[in-house]
Parts: sequence; structure tokens; C-alpha cells
Amino acid sequence: MRKRSFLKTAATVVALSLSTAPAMAEVDFSGQTVTVIVPFGEGGGTSRIFGFFGPFLQKYLPGNPLVQMQNVPGGGSIKGANQFHNTQTADGTYLLATSTSTVVNQASRNPLVEYDLSAYQPVALIGSETHWFTSASVSSTPYDFTPLVDRPLMLYALNSPSSADLFHVWVFDKLGIKGAKPIPGLSSSAGYQAFLRGEIQVSSHGTANYLRQVAPELESGAFTDLMSFGLVREDGSVDRMPYSPDTPTFPEQYERIQGKTLEGADLEAYLAINAIWNQASKALFLPTDTPEDIVVAWRLAFEKIAADPEFIAAAAETLGPAELIIGEAAGPIIKSAATLSNATVEQLNAALKANKLTFRIK
Amino acid sequence: MDLFLSVLITLFAFDHFLFLIAGTLLGLTVGILPGLGGTTALAILLPFVATFEPTNALALMIGVLAPTTTSDTFPAVLIGIPGTAGSQATVLDGYPMAKQGMASRALSAAFLSSLIGGVWGAVILTFAIVFAKPIILAVGFGEQFLLIALALIMVGALTGANVVKGLASCTIGLVIGAIGLAQITADPRLTFGTLYLVEGVPLVVVGMGLFAIPEIVGLLRSKTSIAGDVGLKNQWAQGFRDVANNWFLVFRCSTIGVMVGALPGLGGTVVDWIAYSHMRQTEKNIENVGKGDIRGVIAPESANNAKEGGALIPTILFGIPGSGNKVLLLGGFLLVGIEPGIEMVTTQIDMTYLIIWSLALANVVGASICIFLARPMARITTVPYFILAPILIALIFFASYQVNRDWNNFGGLLVFGLLGVLMKTYGWSRPALLIGFFLSSKIELLSYQTAAVYGYSFLWRTGSLILIGLTIVTLWFLVRQKIGGEQQTTRTDQQRSQIILTLGFLILPIAMIFGVYGLDARASFYPIALSLILAAMLIFVAAGQYVTRRATISKEPLPQNFMVRDMFTQDGNFGPQLREFANLLIFLVLIVVLGFPIATLVFITVFIATRSPRHTLLGLGLAVGLVSIMWTLASMLTLQYPAGWISGVIDMPWWLSGY
Repeated sequence: MRKRSFLKTAATVVALSLSTAPAMAEVDFSGQTVTVIVPFGEGGGTSRIFGFFGPFLQKYLPGNPLVQMQNVPGGGSIKGANQFHNTQTADGTYLLATSTSTVVNQASRNPLVEYDLSAYQPVALIGSETHWFTSASVSSTPYDFTPLVDRPLMLYALNSPSSADLFHVWVFDKLGIKGAKPIPGLSSSAGYQAFLRGEIQVSSHGTANYLRQVAPELESGAFTDLMSFGLVREDGSVDRMPYSPDTPTFPEQYERIQGKTLEGADLEAYLAINAIWNQASKALFLPTDTPEDIVVAWRLAFEKIAADPEFIAAAAETLGPAELIIGEAAGPIIKSAATLSNATVEQLNAALKANKLTFRIK
Repeated sequence: MDLFLSVLITLFAFDHFLFLIAGTLLGLTVGILPGLGGTTALAILLPFVATFEPTNALALMIGVLAPTTTSDTFPAVLIGIPGTAGSQATVLDGYPMAKQGMASRALSAAFLSSLIGGVWGAVILTFAIVFAKPIILAVGFGEQFLLIALALIMVGALTGANVVKGLASCTIGLVIGAIGLAQITADPRLTFGTLYLVEGVPLVVVGMGLFAIPEIVGLLRSKTSIAGDVGLKNQWAQGFRDVANNWFLVFRCSTIGVMVGALPGLGGTVVDWIAYSHMRQTEKNIENVGKGDIRGVIAPESANNAKEGGALIPTILFGIPGSGNKVLLLGGFLLVGIEPGIEMVTTQIDMTYLIIWSLALANVVGASICIFLARPMARITTVPYFILAPILIALIFFASYQVNRDWNNFGGLLVFGLLGVLMKTYGWSRPALLIGFFLSSKIELLSYQTAAVYGYSFLWRTGSLILIGLTIVTLWFLVRQKIGGEQQTTRTDQQRSQIILTLGFLILPIAMIFGVYGLDARASFYPIALSLILAAMLIFVAAGQYVTRRATISKEPLPQNFMVRDMFTQDGNFGPQLREFANLLIFLVLIVVLGFPIATLVFITVFIATRSPRHTLLGLGLAVGLVSIMWTLASMLTLQYPAGWISGVIDMPWWLSGY
């Protein structure tokens, strides 16, 4: 039941382990309605992605149940996730869809969080990748941080120190960019707009927007590519993204600037942040006490979807080249994402402190 | 020319036109209920969008979104409920007109100005979009900050009779707006450890509390219908003549609408208030404004459709949604394969024009249908209070729940409702509070961002100089308007309660100071500074009121200085209104016990049955109808209504057992 695949090339890694499903005949959702709690508003990324999976799940879940999204927005996804936690109907018809911010709220030990993602049964993780870029007027050589390291001030957007943007603070701190300074209160779209105006020097985007909005600008030479965070493989090695093979990853840039390999506490923090930001960018969970055969049925449905040529064709359009991790392999990733080790917490707090931010993970 | 021709041909092509009209009709149907509108309808549609042919899907989506800012005029004018932020200013003069029996006149004027505003907005956009990019990119943090300062000063025209009281109202709004998460440091401010207050009470709920609840309480007090003894005058055609007579105002306000919608910073939400203030500052003979002047309806309505066009610019050019419902539209664009970007004004310009003119055409269709409906709908103002009031109460609760599906909004609604009743009764400016509330977090963040990026050097940028010039001119007009004018009447009863209320408002700044004291300066400076200013203003007002009261008692001449005159304006008495306000509390208790839909059923039926027993069956029918609508929506939107205590005792259907 361990499989990870790139949707673009998923057809090649199909159906290796469908036989591992025990007692499949017992699970049957016919006539039932499956509710996926989406703790965000309609039209957002999480709704879009899981909305896209909806019809395929309907096709591949045993008994072809009706699959509906229930949007429960509020409190940066805390409200909906808490609702899931306190309901937890464990019959396979009640699920939680999460995004990075859901994970960050737990990882940063927000006192309003009641849910515990590491206790649930993960069904599938849909990855994303974080890309950094600057404008040609700041640095014209691709992947070259030197002009940024030399600047007295290098401004970037920070939604709030308690959001996932907190990792940007860690990233620039570790890269040793002394002039890096966060401008708080900028959502990702407001930050991108400020970048277009030349008010901040470095901006970042996830895979979808990187390919859609940034790639053409890189082509025309208006923007300069800097790095991606990196694709962490199951054995812990870090690869460049297959769709942009020239873009170095964070560990490479770290080595280039700091002159040493990423290891020890830094590596541990990197892997944990990568799990939150990239690997578990979007995730789907069943309640803790869901019977084994139902969990297996759900994971199997996802495996079948990943192998469906119709899905692969549509996913290339809608999701882009997203990494899909199905089943048990997701467990350790979620655990490391949702429950940060004390060493990683110290690293993040140190980065916050170095930037004179008062927020701390307690 | 070929380009325009080919766009025109697509625009009126049978399929495109049909889907556009279908979308418009759906948007209108859903939008009749306050709190629902294009956004909800689009959310219903979005899952199906991918199955249509792209141009048809586009027509459908635009059609659905377009009539929201048109249809929300019905509840705003007829029953005083601003169901969306875009119709808040319309209530100010629209509802008083309805009370004077002139609902059909207000509505026909509103819809015609909406229609013209929408088309004029499209005309401007057609030419502006090509060179909009450098202009939009020139509006940085500093310009946005000044834009908001300008908006705040323009709104100074809405301070009511006494300037200091008005400014204090605005500052109350600013302080309340600072409640929640301080984004710069991620410190919670005065949230009492609750999740609800971290994000704060939604603007639409604050608006409904401040404006709709006092009117509902007033209706309950009057024990007649909205139009009361005046009866309904048929002045449908007069509305058209009003628009014709004010054609220049329509053009000015729709131009403002396009600009505010397109520029970053302010957001489209306050555009109707800016248009309204602009009207107050530039028009002559304004003594009736706020009491039922048709220009108070024309100004915001011409702006709010034009704004929707303006908000399309950042969506199309940068893929950045310019207003709330554009997030959904952007999602729809991506689904049908439209990629926002600069190509939209170069190689894809025909698609851009198709979008802009589809929006305009949908506006024309939507507004025309609404004009047609204006006369029959105006009859709502003759419905007796015992039928209308309970339905209105249920509707505003529904609308406030629907904003972000949080039943805590009921609490927010009642708190701001009570505040609204107090402020209306004792002459504190509710628009000023609302605008302060909305702009507060923007002011705080932008001042920080401007300082971090520019320091004071932002003041010398071209855009800044233009905005500073505009601000000075506006300020000059404002001061001249405020210093002139004469003493209005001062009521002599309830003066002591008013002084107590003024001092009571001090609780807010004191609580805020204690709440944020000790936090990092970046989280505490702004609310503490505002609180101190507010406290000073409140003490000044209380002192002014005390002096005026002494003068009243000893029959001396009242103070004439513009700062201290008109300290005691009053509209009705508070006590009796509080008794009617209790109806809302009863409804809230019913919700807690029975859950929202069942509480609605019981409340409407029992209310009508006790006040007019012979209408019991009618009441039951209306209540069942309303609950059926809720049930339909629940299945279409996958939404659960807050369950009451009862669901812990009896097993309830899925849609009644929300969390």
C-alpha cells in the first residue's frame, strides 16, 4: 500500500499492489452520501482540488456513493477541522480535507486547535512545491543569490508570523541573507502584487501559479528564477522538480551559500517544513477509529484514480504536476509535519527572534 | 473595428446570449433573499461549469454574478436590510423613501442608475484596460495608504449633526476594527480566547446590526406597515425623471465606481459610501439628504455596478481577485481555460472585451427585469408589521449566518443591533462607525508596510502628490461645510441618559488598553493610540453635553461653536425600543433550543398568531415556505444549519444538525 506517483507519469507506476486489499467485498457505500469537510470557503484552492477528485471518487469507491464537499470556513481552517475532530463519524462517509494552513495551526501549537492530524487515518496527500524568484532588475543571473546576499535590504511578504509564511523567515535565515526583512500583513496575492510593483524583491509561488504566472515571465526575462524547496523522496534524498530540472533546491543553495551540506538539526527542520509545505500541501483524512477495511477501500479508490487515464489527462490540466502519496507512506509524513520536534521548534523560534518578531511556538 | 464587430457577434450569438440571460435570471432569483446573491449562485454553479462549452460557461458565470449589486437594492430600499456591503449606503435614503410611500420611485431610479452605471463602466473599461497596467502598478503601499486616508476624510461628510460626535463614532469603529489577530505580530487583541473574534465580526453582519435592526425595531414600534398611513404612491415614472435630472451625478459616481473597483487598497466594499459622500459634498440643497432624498439612492447605485467592472481589471490582468466574488469567478475562469495575464489585453483582447461587455449586457438585462418588478415589489411596504417583522427578523438572522456560516454571527448581529438602536436614537453616526470598522485593519497594515518600504519618501511619489492634493481640497470643502450651518433643534428630554451613554462608550477604549497592554509595540501602539484619542473625544463630548444641559436648565443661550453645538440630537426614545428589541432575544433563545430552521417556523407562526389570530394560517404558510427555501439551499450548497439543544434529545435530519 505504499505508493507515490507523479500524476503526469502516473500511468507508469500503476496498480502494483492492489492485491493487498483484504476483504474488499465487505465495504459497500451504495446509496450512501460521503461528506468531505473542507475547512475553507467555496472557490478556494482546497475546494477546487477536492472538488476535482469528487466525481472520480464517486466512480471508484465501492458502491459509488454520492460525494459532497461541505465548506466550513473560519479561523484559518481551525473551525472546520475542530468540527471534524468532535464529530468523527467513523464509517467511511465523513472525511476532512486539509491544506498547509491546517497543518501549520497544529504544528505551531495554536491553543485554539482541538484536532490532531497525526491521530487520523491519512488517505492521500497531494503535494505542491514552493518556488522563489526575483525580478531581473534585482538579479539577472538565474539561480544566483549573490546580489540578494549583498543587498542591505531584501524585502519579502509575510502574511503573519503564525501562518505558513513563517517558514520563509527560517529559509532566508538559514541561507544567511542578512538584509532579508519580512513585510507582514501581505496575503500571497497582495505580496505578488507588491512584487510586481517592485516594492518587495523576492516573491514565491506554489507549483500551479509558478507554472501559470511565473514561467512566462522567466521565459521573457522579466523575472529571474532562484530556487525550489525540493522534492523529498521516500529514502530522504532531495530531488529537483521534474518539470523544472534546472532549478536548484534549497539544500543545494544552502550548500552554495554556506559552504557546507545541510545536516543535523537544520536537515531535520528542513524535512519537517517540507512535509508541511510541500508533501502535505493538501491532504485527506478519515477519522481515527475508522475500521481497517474501510481505510483500505478508500486508499484503493485513490490508487485506481491515479491509474485512470481520464484522470491523468484531466489532472495535468487542473492540478498540474502534483505529487500524490497514497496510504501508509503518508502516516510518517503527517506525523513529522503536525508534531514538530523540539529541535525544529527551537530553530523556527530562533529565526523569528533574529527577525525581531515576537511570535513564538510554545 | 473588426475586433468590436466580432465581439458583438459573439455577444449576441444565440447560445451566448441565452446562457447569459439564464445566468442573470438565476442570479436574480437567488439574490432576492438578503445575504444571498451571485456569489452563492456561482458557488452552486461552479461544479457544473466545467461540463459546459467554455464561452457558454463564461456567459453563465458572468450572468450569475452581474445582478447581485442590482437585486440587493430590493431589501435595502424596501425593508432597510443591507444584504451585501454594496447596498449599505442605499439604505440611508432609500428606506426613508419607502417609509414615505415612495418605494417604487426609489427603486426605479436605483435600477436605472445601476443600468447606466454598469454600461458607462464598461465603456470606460473598454478604453482604460489597455493602459491600466502601469497605472495599477503605480499604486504602491504609500498611495494605497493615502487613498484610504482620502476615503476616511470624504466620509467625514457623514458625521451627522455634531462633528466631534461623528469623529468619535468613526474612532469607535476604528477601535472595534482593531479587535482580532494583530497580523504583524500574530498577537490576539481582545479576543477573549475565542476563535470567532480572531477573525472578527464580518462587515455585512455589522452593517445589518447597525442599520437593519434599528429599522425592524422601529417597524415593531410603529405597529403599522413600512409605508404606514402614507400609503403607497405610484411614482414609478418619476424615478426615471429623477435619474435624467441627475445625469451628471450618475456619470460622476459611476466613474468613481470603476476607479475604486480597479485600484488596489480600498477594495470595492466602500465604493457606495464614497459615492454617497461625494454626492453630499458636491450637491446643493442637501438638507433632506439622509431623510429620503432620491440623490442618496442614485449616487451609490450608479457606483456599485460600475465597481464590478473595475474589479475585473486586476482579476483579468494579474489573476488577482479585485473583490470577494471575483475569487469564485477567477476559479471559474481557470476551469474554462482563461488564463489571466497581460495576454488578456494583447493577443486575447477579444476575450477580455467579451467578458466586459457580457457583464454590461447582463447588467442591462438584470436591471430591466428589476425595473419591471419595482412596482409589484413596492407593495411589500404596505404589508402589516405583524406579518413582515417576524419574517424580516428570520431573514436577517439567515443572512448573517450565511455570510460565513457561523452561528456566532447571531451574537454579533444582536450586539451591533443594540449599538445601532442606541446610536440612531441619540444621534451618533452609524455610517462613520461602519467605515472606521472596515478601514481600521487596512490603515494599520498599510501604515506599517509604507514605513517599512519607503519611510517618509513615499510622500514625494507622483501618485502621492496627486492624492495629497485631492485630500487637501476635500478637507477644505468639509471644514467649510461643517463650520457653516446653524444650530439645529436640541431636545431637552433624556439628556442625562445621553451623557451616561457617552461615558458608557468609554468602556471600549479602556478595555482595549487593558487588553493589549504589554503586547509588542507593533501590536499595541495602534489600538492604544486610537483608544486614547477616542477617550479624549468622548470626554470632550460628555463635557459639551454637560454644558449644553446646564444651559438648557437655566434657559441660557446654547453654545454656538460648531464643535459643541447640536450635542443632543434625538430620534425616538430608547426604552420602548428596548422592549421591541426583546423579540430578537426571544428568537435567539428559540434558536439555541430548537435550532435555526425550526426556531424560524415556530417564531414566525407564533408571532403572527398572537398579534393577529385570523392570520395564523397565513403565518404558518409563510414560515413553512421560508423553511422550505432553507431546506432547498441546504441540499444545493451542502450546508447544515446550527442545531439546537433539541438535537441532543431527538435525532434530527442531516441539514438540521449542524455543528
